[in-house]
Amino acid sequence: MKRIFVLTSLCLFVIIMSIFLSPFSIKAQGPIKIGIVDTYSGPPTTYTYDVRDAFKLAIDEINAKGGVFGRKIEFTTRDDKFKVDICLSMAKELIMMEKVDILMGTINSAATLAVSEYCKAEKIPFIVTFSKSDKITGEKGHRYVFSVSENTAMIGKAAASGLAKRPYIKYWIAGDDYEYGHALADGVWGNLKKLKPEVQLMGQSWWKVGEPELTPYLTAISSAKPDVVIFATGGASMVNAMKAAKATGFAEKIPMFIHTATEHSTLAPLGLEAPEKVIGTSNYHFYYPDTPKNKAFVKAFKDAYGREPKVGALYGYLAAQFITKALIKAGKMDREKFIDALEGMKVDSPVGEIEMRAYDHQAMLPMFMGVTKKVAGYPFLIATDIVTIPASEVMPSIEEIKKARRQ
Amino acid sequence: MNFGIAEIICQFLVGISRSMILFIVCAGLSFILGVLRVPNIAHGSLYMIGAFATFSITKIVGGTYGFWVALALAPFLVVLVSLVTERLLFCHLYQREHLMLLLFTFSVSLILGDLVKIVWGAEYRSVPPPELLKGSISILGASFPKYNLFLIIIGPLVGIALWLFTTKTKIGKISRAAAVDREMVGVLGINVSWVFAFAFLIGCYLAGVGGALVAPTVSITLGMDHTLIIEAFLIVTIGGLGNMWGALVGSLIFGVTHSFGVLFWPQFAIVFPYMAVVIVLLLRPKGLLKSVW
Repeated sequence: MKRIFVLTSLCLFVIIMSIFLSPFSIKAQGPIKIGIVDTYSGPPTTYTYDVRDAFKLAIDEINAKGGVFGRKIEFTTRDDKFKVDICLSMAKELIMMEKVDILMGTINSAATLAVSEYCKAEKIPFIVTFSKSDKITGEKGHRYVFSVSENTAMIGKAAASGLAKRPYIKYWIAGDDYEYGHALADGVWGNLKKLKPEVQLMGQSWWKVGEPELTPYLTAISSAKPDVVIFATGGASMVNAMKAAKATGFAEKIPMFIHTATEHSTLAPLGLEAPEKVIGTSNYHFYYPDTPKNKAFVKAFKDAYGREPKVGALYGYLAAQFITKALIKAGKMDREKFIDALEGMKVDSPVGEIEMRAYDHQAMLPMFMGVTKKVAGYPFLIATDIVTIPASEVMPSIEEIKKARRQ
Repeated sequence: MNFGIAEIICQFLVGISRSMILFIVCAGLSFILGVLRVPNIAHGSLYMIGAFATFSITKIVGGTYGFWVALALAPFLVVLVSLVTERLLFCHLYQREHLMLLLFTFSVSLILGDLVKIVWGAEYRSVPPPELLKGSISILGASFPKYNLFLIIIGPLVGIALWLFTTKTKIGKISRAAAVDREMVGVLGINVSWVFAFAFLIGCYLAGVGGALVAPTVSITLGMDHTLIIEAFLIVTIGGLGNMWGALVGSLIFGVTHSFGVLFWPQFAIVFPYMAVVIVLLLRPKGLLKSVW
């Protein structure tokens, strides 16, 4: 008797599990479901809210026109609290319970890589919106993962390309002592050495992530008198570095390069207290390029949310365009057909036409190098003297990707 | 590497100015440790609240005087928060063992951290230094931020004020007596509970002052509480538990070794203050100055 009970319960369990887990479970022709797992609590929200809000704006517009092949697009979000384990279980929950057709997110590189592996096994298309590790579409890239954001390899190439055109020889590197900081510094320095072999590295300073007071580091660097300093910082240290640069008068004496220094996410909280003359790179500015397309995008975003779009808004917009255009091309919700359609796809965007490179599934984004400046009419600093570094100079070559993947 | 004398002096002063903020916060922590015997982990959260309050007040008042008003008012907001927590929670727990108090104050720090998130949100905040202290001055050719010079002046002033309070005023003397023998103070007919509350508020006020003073030099963000509290406990330990001058010595060791580490060996600068702590504890396990414990 007991045995029969055990057997039946086991059978039941297997049946239930197969219903839940099966990716081929029968679905009604309801809306197409997209799941977004990202950090919606803590400091990263400065970036992630823009991705979500711009994505919503674009999807609402498409739904208002009747959606794709007669089906509406619907999306659900989950907060991963910037933690790898939570992110992975939320991604699983979205795929198994919510039965999403396509997954999107995140801002944490380690979490993205974990979710990416899972999506590879489950054959779920995964559009990466903010994580910047070059492993995502490089070494660990595969058929089911796509990125609409820049990565450390691209930042390195863009920064090197921009800096090599300037007359600096003696460099100093300073940054946050963690994966992103070192990856960024190595990327810039490796490429710079290739482009301009005469550059010298005078020294390096690394502080712990979240180091509150950077003044002693800056006074020490300025006594070594380098031509230029490359700052490899992210998050909170960005604002700290800018404040210390202003207070010590560092920015006046020694040119500084900080990736994202010119970005609105960095400059907005500092208001008019940000230092001028800092060189930075970014994928997007709401005031540049000055095209009708960008102006229309900024206006729509501002009308909806009452603030200027930051770089995340571009990524959210791109994700929405790539997804809907690929769905229309595929003709129905079929994951394999969707991926085939997305490879090599081109979409129009506020920064011009963007191609999803077929080989590594990396969106080919241009980079804008500019210099911070006070400009009348803005309650914060903006980037001026902007030089566009085209995607061709930013993207890692296919050979480099092959080498990273050991192919 | 060759450094001129100017750079070395400048770096030394930067180290001292950083020490002054640490000293003000640690003096408060040490005072509470001495009088109440409470290892208050939530002290860091009060420092964070002080910084966030400074941000809000500076913004509301605006203009040239914004920061000065904030510097005067923000610590009192912190005192208000700590008065509520003291009367509701802490005052029932003074007699418990230290491990329990550690856990308890740690949970308070998490609650206060979440409260800050609810009130101020998760974004980075930034307070500009007041007009008078913007920019830098030149010391023998090396530039030194004016605000840091202000910190070097204000640190000793706070120290002297605290010393006068504990040695010259009646309530200060009672606090010190309560630290040594709390039962005896009770026997003399003094309301020990209120003496403790008062001492607690003085300590928390100092955390608020530290938070207000640090605001113009850093980005104000969640998590600044835990970064600080670890350093603060190390400083209080090497200086001698409950000893105010110990907090000063500890802060100076911590700040100056750090800034010289940055100058001479920048890649490993993080290690220097902690190495100094290890050396002090190996040589003098009870701290450099006399502990009241």
